[in-house]
Amino acid sequence: MRRRFKKKREESEINITPMLDIVFIMLIFFIVTTSFVKEISIDVNRPTKSPIKEQKKSEVISIRISAEGQIFVQDRLITVDAVRANIESYLALKPEASVVVVAAREADAGFLVRVIDQSRLAGARNVSLAAQK
Amino acid sequence: MIKRRNRSEEDSEINITPMMDIVFIMLIFFIVTTSFIKETGINPNRPEAETATRAEQGNILIAVSPSDQIWMNKNQIQLESVRILMESAHAENPESSVVIVADELASTGLIIDIMDQIRLSGISKVSLSAKEK
Repeated sequence: MRRRFKKKREESEINITPMLDIVFIMLIFFIVTTSFVKEISIDVNRPTKSPIKEQKKSEVISIRISAEGQIFVQDRLITVDAVRANIESYLALKPEASVVVVAAREADAGFLVRVIDQSRLAGARNVSLAAQK
Repeated sequence: MIKRRNRSEEDSEINITPMMDIVFIMLIFFIVTTSFIKETGINPNRPEAETATRAEQGNILIAVSPSDQIWMNKNQIQLESVRILMESAHAENPESSVVIVADELASTGLIIDIMDQIRLSGISKVSLSAKEK
């Protein structure tokens, strides 16, 4: 009777080795597949074609980028460095205005991002992108 | 003498409970932080921007090479298939937003076309990838 009791007690310990194996394999899998790389990006609006959202022309600051990389703010030719100051002065007059970037199809994407970045630095809350037909 | 020996044999078993605790905590950490970002297959030269922010849920990536090729999930794709691929990616992960990783020299027209295709697939959050200055 005594012996039996002892045996039972010994058996009651669970063997955790297989669980350990599985846990380690899962751990290694997750370590290997994890990528902590997060893209940093700027948000861009693409206006819908519906006419409901059409804004009054006076409330829009248009920046036009030509295929050669020239920038026109309200039809005035300026350089990239001057975009920020120009947008700031327009926004001071019309704080509610939104900025629309009209880019030629052949213009470089890097140029576009720089212009959007500069206008966001100037304080424009709503920058949207349109294509030149 | 015999008694002593017995004791040292019992001591030789290592207590693995603290190690298990640490392994489980690491496992949970990696499970929680893992986000299965699908690589695009190319690494374009991103334009610099100062107002760029880290996209928390930007895990659909689509890349545009300098020669206007579209890459997604390590495959080169056509503009026509962007919409279908976006729809399936959106169905897999309904809370995700799209990040367009465009090269500095990619053309703006193609990016606008891609944005329109993404819009058609029902995703409203689109952003342009940039690099910190």
